[in-house]
Amino acid sequence: MPTTHAAVRMTANPIVPGIVWGVTYVAARLALELSLSPRLRLLIALAPIVPFVFALVGVVRGIRSMDELHRRVHLEALVLAFPLTLLLIMTLGLLELAIGLSPDDWSYRHILPFLIVFYAFGLWRAWKRYL
Amino acid sequence: MKNRLRVLRAEREWSQAELADRLSVSRQTVNAVETGRYEPSLGLAFRLAHLFGVSIEEIFEPDAPPLP
Repeated sequence: MPTTHAAVRMTANPIVPGIVWGVTYVAARLALELSLSPRLRLLIALAPIVPFVFALVGVVRGIRSMDELHRRVHLEALVLAFPLTLLLIMTLGLLELAIGLSPDDWSYRHILPFLIVFYAFGLWRAWKRYL
Repeated sequence: MKNRLRVLRAEREWSQAELADRLSVSRQTVNAVETGRYEPSLGLAFRLAHLFGVSIEEIFEPDAPPLP
């Protein structure tokens, strides 16, 4: 039986929790600049995990609802993004040993935006190939 | 791999979106298959063949001849 296009595209499931995760992360990042008790700092640091889990569930459901080409595009984006992430972590690790990196300049929190950029670049590259 | 998908679709006066709906795939997928940028899975190829009432070989033609 024919279905609508919406049935085979990424559904809106991950969008709202994804935005909530992003807002929670930025809020946590800013809140951790303040002088707070260690226990509160720990809670704030772990707070983004909850919305992230909801976003992850939405992404998985969204991927399952896609057709084969859309799944392939996301797979190719991952195939590009994952090695680039490995390369970034490897390079930073070696640079840390070689010249020493300040945690204010390079730490886990600085890697996060790169992962999003790598995945977005992978998506753009894959779509360019098929469209 | 060449294919006759655009011709078969035109014969039935279906738009890409209409064909996509009938196949439960996205319009982008139909377009990518038609332009030869994406080779569909065997499952989708069978669904196309069934929908148009032809064999898979009547839709898709390999670039190289099959191995002996």
